[in-house]
This record gives sequence, structure tokens and C-alpha cells, in this order.
Amino acid sequence: MPEPITTTGGARAIPQVAMSSTSTLPTHTGTWKYQVPAYHDRVAPCNARCPVGIDIEGYMNLLRLGRVEDARDLLLTENPLPAVTGRVCHHPCENACNRRTLDGAVAIHAVERMLGDLAHQHPAPTFRATPLAERVAVVGSGPAGLACAYHLARLGYGVTIFEAAAEPGGMLRLGIPAYRLPRDVLDRDIARVAAHGVEIRCGVRVGSDVAWAELTATFDAVCVSTGAHTSRALGVPGEELPGVRPGLAFLRDVNAGRRPDLGRHVVVVGGGNTAMDCARSALRLGAKVTVAYRRTREQMPAIKEEIEDAMREGAEFVFLANPVEFTARDGHVQAMVCERMALGEPDASGRRRPMPTGETFTLAADTVLTAIGESSALTQFFADVEGSDAGLRVDALGGTTRDLLYAGGDVTDLERTVADALGAGKRAAIGIDRHLRHHKGDTAELNALRFAQGNLSAARWMGRDPIVRTAPVNEVVTADDVNFTQFRRRPRHADPHLPSAAAVQGFDEVNAGLPEALAMDEARRCLNCGVCTECDVCLIFCPDAAISRAEGGAYVIAMDYCKGCGICAAECPRGAITMSQDRP
Amino acid sequence: MSQLRINDLIPDNRLVTSGHLACPGCAAPLGMKLALNALGPNTIVVMPASCFTIIAGPWPQSSLQVPVFHTAFATGPAVASGVRAALDMQGQHDTNVLVWVGDGGTFDIGLQSLSGAAERNENMIYVCYDNEAYMNTGIQRSSATPWGAWTTTTPAQFPEASPKKDMLGIMVAHGIPYAATATPAYPADLVAKITKAKAMHGMRFIHLLSPCPPGWKCGDDEGLELARMAVQNRVFPMLEVEHGTRWRLTMEHAGDPVEPYLRRQGRFRHLSAEQVTHIQAQIDVRWQQLMRRMEAEALASV
Repeated sequence: MPEPITTTGGARAIPQVAMSSTSTLPTHTGTWKYQVPAYHDRVAPCNARCPVGIDIEGYMNLLRLGRVEDARDLLLTENPLPAVTGRVCHHPCENACNRRTLDGAVAIHAVERMLGDLAHQHPAPTFRATPLAERVAVVGSGPAGLACAYHLARLGYGVTIFEAAAEPGGMLRLGIPAYRLPRDVLDRDIARVAAHGVEIRCGVRVGSDVAWAELTATFDAVCVSTGAHTSRALGVPGEELPGVRPGLAFLRDVNAGRRPDLGRHVVVVGGGNTAMDCARSALRLGAKVTVAYRRTREQMPAIKEEIEDAMREGAEFVFLANPVEFTARDGHVQAMVCERMALGEPDASGRRRPMPTGETFTLAADTVLTAIGESSALTQFFADVEGSDAGLRVDALGGTTRDLLYAGGDVTDLERTVADALGAGKRAAIGIDRHLRHHKGDTAELNALRFAQGNLSAARWMGRDPIVRTAPVNEVVTADDVNFTQFRRRPRHADPHLPSAAAVQGFDEVNAGLPEALAMDEARRCLNCGVCTECDVCLIFCPDAAISRAEGGAYVIAMDYCKGCGICAAECPRGAITMSQDRP
Repeated sequence: MSQLRINDLIPDNRLVTSGHLACPGCAAPLGMKLALNALGPNTIVVMPASCFTIIAGPWPQSSLQVPVFHTAFATGPAVASGVRAALDMQGQHDTNVLVWVGDGGTFDIGLQSLSGAAERNENMIYVCYDNEAYMNTGIQRSSATPWGAWTTTTPAQFPEASPKKDMLGIMVAHGIPYAATATPAYPADLVAKITKAKAMHGMRFIHLLSPCPPGWKCGDDEGLELARMAVQNRVFPMLEVEHGTRWRLTMEHAGDPVEPYLRRQGRFRHLSAEQVTHIQAQIDVRWQQLMRRMEAEALASV
């Protein structure tokens, strides 16, 4: 019992006037409550929406604490190619970022890029696995294949990647132009994958140089990540004319250093990333470029920044235009006849369906580049593997319907982005490890490896999640859970770009990326949704002084005094405290 | 870090203990906690009848770890004047005298003794924690109750018919060294004002908006958010006035509409759309008056 506050005539004597001799601590007001607060780590929306399964909030938190190398390692645990995705990912994480509500999403891509470039200074793997006896073949060295190989190597498997092209990278090298992804950046990310002990055999086409059956016979498992390299045909008259060519073939030429003669007028058909890459590459070859798309700008599947850059660099856009015929002069394409479309009811993709109006118009064209989608040409070896026109069917761990044959990336019927491919490669690696190590388990066990509904975490699969989580709850923090009044408005930093006039003169990288100091500043803009940062808001606001700092960090709530008012949960800036009516 | 750094401002010295008898979600003990953190342990509290008489705890307990003098409703500033004089006679000039009074004890019952002490410029810090009615005795209206509000003595059929008394204006008219509004919902602002007041001499008056979940009829966890809304919609602007002339807003006020603030509180649930419009108009008029007054004082001081 505390000493008397004021005394007259002896420490324990009750004086003539009524005078208090104790604090109120003997009164256990905690008995009043009908609900109890508790600290729970919940899932930040960026983590839940990342197709790769990166603990974005986790590395932002480490950066906030100045632990740059730990942040880099946490990123590398999930993503083998951070310098690549920091540049070319469509960053659904930023679309989900709760900070959008306040003053703009955190520029997550810029932070990832900074960490990815930083990782190039230390190419050696920070983690060495115990070698295992089994060997796995990965066919194709695009993002899916590289991710599968990387995670398998980190698990200890011997991995060989077979690549048909002369250099590894798949669509990252053949499809994505150097002004978006400089080749030295790509080379360094791939070199780190190889440094983990992955053997990459280039110039070997499985199916002709090596038989598929030979792979399945010599390796314990095979992962197919051969991509989708066949441009879909438009199916309109004149498509076979000289001058009309698949956009992908054009990109392959340009990315190999060739500079094909396009003539004056180039028309690009399509609204996806391949179309934008074609348009911007053609601009760099001196052409006047028009992009024809059958829907409107809002419905273009391309990354928003790519569309903006293409427009800034001078590409013209004709929307609601559907090619119906190519006309020729002297046996070479001369113009594209388009039908004017109008938007109708939403289709299966949720976007409004373009409807023909009957009205036509003509666009002059010396070259037409078609970019309306790609498909994969699979050999007879896959005849009895389930799939569709969209690609191979795989389960939650990348397994095809054939035992020990896994698949990931554009060769499957899933989303076709770099990030989705990296995530699929990781799933296949976990699937192969699970099979070869005879792990059994159910869906619930796999769900524990996810950030909410997001992709699997390699760190959690390996049981090496370096982040200590407080009573984790696998649910996403929404903007309603964030207390924005605890944050100061501070708009996000915009990426510096080359001036458009200079950019179109060559293939130098257009987006220069944020300088390290500004990227670090973006990391400090992170709200750390759902994760206690020991900011003291709960401690300060508790009207009952029932919250105090715990030994060794974080907080303790004195349940003898907590009245369950919920102010700590309401005031918590980041939704890391939840109220429940269960007794502790 | 874009999070506001309140933890830099507020030391964690526990001068208010757990086990006090405030209702769940009451902002008054939070206000006291922040005020005493800023003033430190060398403080004597004078406390006329109010909710806080109960919150302080039943004899022989006290939730405040500084001396507290409980006194009659009307006598806070008079008693504090005496305490101050006694301290000064003993040479304890650096001991803070904090008068902690509710809105009833300030706006109604204690107004004459407050005015007297202010006129004499007695050396004390007077905090009116204003929950806008006599909450402790069962939510009877006071002259701090806003126009249109329900209380048990102004039922929904006959809601409060008088506007809230302009207490800060009355205190500013005394020409006292420091007068300010604050709320525990903005702790950094509150602590800055108490700290500033502590360094000054004479009568310092702080009007604290202190949400009361049972009296306002809101959720236990909603009071502080409501207080922030009251600031941002200009119902209760955050300002300070030095020597009756130097006016200053201490933060930006978004000027949000008042309706969401009213609709979230049961005490305003009966209001018609016309009545809400009337309240909004009154807020706008008062804000314009405040702006004109600040402009005039600024011109006069040139």
C-alpha cells in the first residue's frame, strides 16, 4: 500500500480532517467491463494483395527502424527479383494501400526498387540451405521459373533451369524493353538467383535439344514455366500482309538490339502492356504511333503509368476502334480499317463490352503491330495434362494433373503479370517441397502461410519468419480501422522521369527511381496497418491509466483496472488493438 | 515519421492512478492525466463539487498523487486564492495551484468567485472541464449545455433553449494573462497550452471540452472522436488569448458540416433538419465574429 499523501501526526494516523491515505489502486474497476482490448497483429492490405506474397509492411517497419539490411533480407526471402519488380510490377499493393484515403498511397514500388538495387551491392546469398539429395528441373527462365528455382535452392534442392534462348529472363528480357528494365539490372537479379546454386543452361530447348521424357526420368520433379509466346491472331482479312506482324515478335527483335524498319506510320492494336511496350519502342525507332483499342482508356489492362508515359512520349490513342480489315498497296499494308465501337453491358471480366456501331474509319499504317494477347503452344507431351486454351490448369501449389509435374507463370491459366508469375513459381516450389518431403496437411495449414487471402509466404513455409507477431489474426486492416487523425498529411514523392523528348531518343531507363533518401521517406509514410509500432498512443489515451510499457517492449494492459471503454482500440492509429467480449 | 509525435511531448509520470471512479470512456481523467503530466508533482489541486469529486475516489482513497482540496461548489477560486496566499507566505512560489472545476461550477455556481479571482489576477491555473451539463447528478442542463441538446431537465420535447454561454469571452474580458480552449482529444495541443500557462503568472484559464459518453449518449469509445469533430466543425475552436488581446488559433479548422457531429449523439437525435440548419448558421456566425475579432485585435496591435 502506498505511503500517505499528506500526514499530520504520524504516517498511519488518521488526522482530524478527512484526509486520503491511499491511492485508488485497491478499487478494481476492471470488474465493470463487458469487453476486453487485446493487441493483435493484423494483415496490412498491401501484404494481402501482393501476388508475390511479400511482407511489405514488414520491410517498411524495419526501414522505419533503420534496419535496412534486415528489410532487404525480408524482401529477398519472398521475392528473388526485387530490382525487377520495383520497376515493372503493376503494384496492386499500392492500389490497396490505406494511405490512399489520406494523401496518396505509399510509393511501395520505389521502396522495393531501392532495396532491390541495394541488394545488388551484396550479391551473395544471406542464407545457405542444408543440401538435399533431390534434383528438380525448371523449364523456362522467366519470372516463374526463376522464382521456383530460387525458392527450391533456398530449401536445399539441386536445381537446373533449361532455357531455350541464349540468355535467361524469359519475357523479362524478350518482351520488356530496356527503357523500363535496364539489362544490367535484370542480369544482377538473375545472377543472385544463380548465386544460390541454381544451374541455368541457356540455348537448350526442351522438346528438341532434350526430350521431356528425359527430364522426368532424370529429375525428381519438373516445373514448367515456358510462358506464352504466341501472339493471338486478330482473325480479320489482310492480317497476313507484309507489314502486319505480332507485337511480341517486334519486341523480341528490338530487345535483341535489332532496329527493324517500320516506315512512318505505326498502328498498335491492343490496350495491354505488350501494346504499350510496342508503342513506346516504335516511338524510339522514329515512327509516328497510333494505338487502337476497342474499349476506352479506363478499361485498358495496361499499367496506368505505362499508358501515361506512352501518351507523354507522343503516342496517339484511338479508343473504341476495332480492326475489321487491312488494306494493301503494292502488296504491303497501307491502312487499317476500323469499326467504331460503343460500350455495352459488362462482360465476364467486369468491363463494359464493346459493341459494334457499323460506322467505319481508316488509319494509315506502314506497320501494324498486334498485341491483343498471347497463348502458349504446348507439345504432345502435355496431351494428357488438364488445361484449356488459356493454359495449363494447376492447383493451389502449382501442381498439374500429372504427378510431380508442376507449372507456373503464363503457361498456366492464371493472371499474366510478372508478380503473379513470381508468386506462382513460389507456390510450385512449396508444392514440390511438400511432395518430396512427404508433408501432408490440409488447406487450413496452407492458410496459415498466407497474409489473409494473399499468396503463400516462403518464410512461413520454412518456419523462419523473422518477424515476431503479436497474437496474429489473419484479417485485413481496412481504411475504417485506421485512425487518420494521428497522421500528418504528407503527399507521396513522385518518381523522377527523363524528359519525354530525350526519352524517345533511345532506350535509356525513363523512370529514374526515387533517390535513397526519398525512398526511405516513403517507407516512413507507411501507416504500418495492423502492426503495433509502440507509438504510445494507447498508453497516452487510456483514461484509466491501465496501459503501461512492458519489459522488453510493447505494452501490458492491467485488466484489474481496464473498464473496457475501447478508447485504445478507437485511437490506435493502425488498427492493432481489437475489442472482444471474450474474457481473457 | 508522418505520425504525430505526441510521445515526445508527454512524460509518463503517473500522477493519476488506476481504479478511479470515472465512467468508461470519460475524458475528464484523461484531461487530468495530461494536465498533471505537464504541471508535474509540485502541484496542489483545488476541487469544488463536480464529477471529479467522485472520480478522485472515496475517502480514504485518492486517485490523484498530488494534494487535493475538496471544497464547496461555489468556492473553487476563493479557496485557491487562500491556498496560493498560504503557499506564498511559506515561500513556495513555485508550487502550482490548479483549480479543477466542471462546467456547472464554472458557468453557473462558481462564476462570481471566478470573476473575483480573475479581477484580482490571482496566481492560479483554472481548468474548466466542460462536459456540457451536470452529468454527475443525472445530466441536468447547465449554461454550458448547447442549444437544442437533450438533458433530463430539457427533455426532447423542450430541448435546451439558450445558446451555450461564451465562457472564454467572459474570461478574456477580464484581461487575464492567458485564456485558452483545449480538449484531451488533442493531447499535444493540450499539453502545449498547460505548459505555456505554467510558465506564466496570474490567472490562467483553460476551457477543456470533455466528452461524456452517458450524457452525450454516444459509445464509450466515441467521445474523443466527437471532440475532434467539434473542433474541426468549429463548434469548439482551438484558440488561445494572451492578455485579453493577442488571439491565436492553435490549429487548422477544416470547417466540416456540423450535422454528422450532431447525428452521432443521442442528446441531439430529436433535432429536425431545420434545427440542424439553425445550429450550423449559429456556428458560421460565431466563426465570422471570431475572425473579425482576431483581425481587429491584430490591426489594433500594429
